[in-house]
Amino acid sequence: MSEVIQGFEENLKKTPLFEMHNSFRGKMVPFAGYSLPIQYETGIIAEHIHTRKEASIFDVSHMGQIKITGPMIYDAMERILPISFSEMYPGQIKYTQFLNEEGKIIDDLMVYKSTEGDYVWLVVNADCIEKDLSHLNLYLNENYTIELIQDRSLIALQGPESSNILCKYFPDIEDIPFMSAGWFDYKGQHFFISRCGYTGEDGFEISIKDKDSESFVHELLKNKEIKLAGLGARNSLRMEAGLCLYGNDININISPVEAGINWSISKERIENGNFLGHEHVKSDIKNGVSKKLIGLNLLGKLPAREGADIFNLDKIKIGIVTSGGYSPTLKTPIAMGYISEDNIKENDEVLLSVRGKLIPASITNLPFVKHNYFRGKK
Amino acid sequence: MSDTYFTKDHEWIKIENNTGIVGITKYASEQLGDIVFVELPEKGSQAEKGKDIAVVESVKAASEIYSPVSGIIIDTNENLNDTPEVVNEDPSGDGWFYKIEITNSEEISDLMSEQEYLELIGD
Repeated sequence: MSEVIQGFEENLKKTPLFEMHNSFRGKMVPFAGYSLPIQYETGIIAEHIHTRKEASIFDVSHMGQIKITGPMIYDAMERILPISFSEMYPGQIKYTQFLNEEGKIIDDLMVYKSTEGDYVWLVVNADCIEKDLSHLNLYLNENYTIELIQDRSLIALQGPESSNILCKYFPDIEDIPFMSAGWFDYKGQHFFISRCGYTGEDGFEISIKDKDSESFVHELLKNKEIKLAGLGARNSLRMEAGLCLYGNDININISPVEAGINWSISKERIENGNFLGHEHVKSDIKNGVSKKLIGLNLLGKLPAREGADIFNLDKIKIGIVTSGGYSPTLKTPIAMGYISEDNIKENDEVLLSVRGKLIPASITNLPFVKHNYFRGKK
Repeated sequence: MSDTYFTKDHEWIKIENNTGIVGITKYASEQLGDIVFVELPEKGSQAEKGKDIAVVESVKAASEIYSPVSGIIIDTNENLNDTPEVVNEDPSGDGWFYKIEITNSEEISDLMSEQEYLELIGD
């Protein structure tokens, strides 16, 4: 058997929950410079299904939390981000991207508009922290303080039971809408909690002081509905939810329109511009793009992984798979990838090349599994 | 009389006369995690010792399986097409991959005994 990746590389960073992962027999692997659990004892499929049915805790402390303060902070940030802060209510978060001058994606991130109106809080991809900070420093002058938060863990609690459980500790959390955030106190500690996630389920991301993170996770685990889940389930969950992974489905050569995430760009900003990459985004929307991200339902059981070529039925190459794997919910392989725009028609059949074999698949809209976000009390 | 031998790459082969049944070890199945697909060789095809002969797709990744000995594939475990998870549940029994007619019995001496294999994985 060819070698399976193990987490024994030297110089890997540890999150504050590293010892806890080991005590729960997490299978540690290198990820974004950290040693993180790909799964625990029950395995990826069980963790995935549990998340969809109840709730799971994911350690996402490797991600970058950045706080930015300074004068007219929202005006300054609108030069960098293609969103409109005036369209956001205080306490709202939005999914957005850092774009370069060419309108390509430097990173995708969450941004929070503080209730006090004096700062923004960003959560960025671990692999992109350095280039994000350089980018921010390039476009924000010395009047702005860009602080990479170094003393807070980040825990994702995801799944339909998340809210019922978290409101035992934070009674006010129950009614906050999806895509909003704020500061909440528990046992004298300040928690920054945002209602969002990367699984397609209702859920929260909880920012806790490093010294308190393990004890809080243990406290959450006292609830029988909650289990730990690793990076493997996180990936299969986000794929089913049709969410892009930076480095796979989006990167510095891809534009938001190609990735189909231009819904996150403010319509007013597209008209009035003045953000990095604006002309390109506007032109992509007006003139269309040559390739687009699509979903693929594979026939049969053989999964196609990232890098698999996509052919039309005449065996002409029309694209490439950027994420692929097994869907525990649909019990079938699924994939995401780019194909040239003139080949996109829903339900059209294509062929994926896996180790020299051509696997039939049909084009489908994303997501594969319907999102189950909290849209307010019924 | 049958004997089971092992490779350093975590395959096992149960040999009776000049026929072998091949699978992967419990250790290997645990390292792979949830197995969702096994690509089996064609019946009648040639296997070469140490060369890839099958592919196991787990939720995580694809891993190649190397044939412990050279020979001709005389049967494959078709049950794995519908229930690949059997490899996780019973790797050294129902989770077998293929039967092989051994063409060079001298290769058997290169394989490891169970005790040698258990030492290798530090059990």
